Amino acid sequence: MTKLTLTAALLVAATAMTSALAFDRPGLKASGEYASGTLGKATQPARAEPGSGSVYEVGKWPTYTAELAPGAGHDTVLGHCSMCHSVTYITMQPPLPAATWEMEVNKMIKTFGAPIDEATAKDIIAYLQAHYTPETRK
Amino acid sequence: MPIHLSRRDMLGLIAGGGALAAAPAWAVVSPQAETPLPSFTGPEANPYWNSVGPYVTYPQKVPLIRLTDRPIQLETPRRYFRTAITPNEAFYVRYHLPDIPNAVDLASWRLTLEGNFAHPLQLSLEQLRKEFKPVTIAAVNQCSGNSRSRFQPRVPGGQWGNGAMGNALWTGVRLSDVLKRAGIQPGTVQIQFEGLDHGPGPQGKGSNRFLKSWNVDEPILKDAVIAYLMNGEPLPMLNGFPVRMVMPGKFATYWTKHLTFIRALTTPDTNFWMTPAYQIPDTPNGSTTPEDLKAGKVKLVPIGHVNMPVRSVIVDPDGAVPLLPGVPATIRGVAFSGQGKIVKVDVSVDDGKTWRPAKLGADLGAHAFREYSLVWTPTAPGKHTIAVRATDAAGHVQPDTGVWNPGGYLWNKIERQDVLVLSA
Repeated sequence: MTKLTLTAALLVAATAMTSALAFDRPGLKASGEYASGTLGKATQPARAEPGSGSVYEVGKWPTYTAELAPGAGHDTVLGHCSMCHSVTYITMQPPLPAATWEMEVNKMIKTFGAPIDEATAKDIIAYLQAHYTPETRK
Repeated sequence: MPIHLSRRDMLGLIAGGGALAAAPAWAVVSPQAETPLPSFTGPEANPYWNSVGPYVTYPQKVPLIRLTDRPIQLETPRRYFRTAITPNEAFYVRYHLPDIPNAVDLASWRLTLEGNFAHPLQLSLEQLRKEFKPVTIAAVNQCSGNSRSRFQPRVPGGQWGNGAMGNALWTGVRLSDVLKRAGIQPGTVQIQFEGLDHGPGPQGKGSNRFLKSWNVDEPILKDAVIAYLMNGEPLPMLNGFPVRMVMPGKFATYWTKHLTFIRALTTPDTNFWMTPAYQIPDTPNGSTTPEDLKAGKVKLVPIGHVNMPVRSVIVDPDGAVPLLPGVPATIRGVAFSGQGKIVKVDVSVDDGKTWRPAKLGADLGAHAFREYSLVWTPTAPGKHTIAVRATDAAGHVQPDTGVWNPGGYLWNKIERQDVLVLSA
């Protein structure tokens, strides 16, 4: 048997197998479809002792840094807002009107006592308004 | 259900990019798994049962849905509301301040009663357990802002779906027994509660301490329990070990976690967390409009003035599996009210046009979740909209309109679920 005829025979066999499979699986509309994805990013935690002696103890609280929109004021916002809370407090919000963002920043300063000067506050408000309103949020 | 992704989408996936234009998925459990939910919803209402954050794993917890990581806010996924008791490891978490206990030494921890008491007390956990009569109560703990992401127009705050709630069996001692031993002295106007959690803000600000208070003659103080067991086990750290307040019928803002200080105050508490935070319009259902608020027409009062309004949620079917004509499907979930026990749950399979009564599960008490179920055999193929409506003993019926207030509180609109019935 020449090499060419062997290949041809394999092709015939493979075609036969495919049609046999299709014949054996009535109703099948789709199968064997895989997507590349993010599986495995979420790991299981290792075991640990829940304390010792009279102490009830758990591990550290996991964190991450939400991705803020790039642009002027990005670093100012990340630096100042992160003093008290993670910036997920920004990215979690629905698009909010410009006036609401101004109110929120003023609340952080006046009500909660965030040590942020007036010029910096203006930059923070401008950044939030530039990226997180119904008109600007992406 | 093939979903075709462009190269750009695929790159976004690989980079973990959030805001892909996702196909609608009406449940956390979806018939596809390659396209993630969008990373935020709005300006329209969040259409999903839960909030849209990723699953995260925390100490003593199964994967929960992250709202924020510092301070910590985690939402319970829908499926855990299939039964009336919410497992401790799935119970939602909500903190106001980031300095959250990682370790507590019971040898030195004391529940401290101070201020205008005749006999200030320092009670160890063992004393609490042994020197006071234990009580157990099933009660729903629900965040004031549960379902805030349903609001229109949207309001700032934790963008919860429906999972900022849970029902547990709380075992502990009656607050009134402990207060009795300490002896509230004449001149006391309020009782204040504070836990071990703390914040980095300056003294005197809401970013430094989380304080909640009740008028001394408020009836809830008689029903309140200082709980040291949750579903028969010590509390998960994130749910308030070693003890937390249980205020049956009231929103969770008053259920102080890691409770360590009880104070008898001789002047009313005006700290941020009493006013202006957690205030609701003084209207019959706590609802108002942005216009009235702006015009200064709205009087606000602490949310403690009201008990939780009646509501119910649909857990099954969740829209991830199609139904078959002629095959019975069980519609089920839980209902609850802070204003009287659940006496009726009605189910509609035609988007609220007609209703039929569901079967109610065990009565675990007036303040607990009550399971309901109704077997429905769909006949017509196509899309159907299920709706569920609960009624409490005081006659409150869930409304089919959503409330609006600036805090995003008191949501109890009738919930709906679309399901697909295949043609056979």
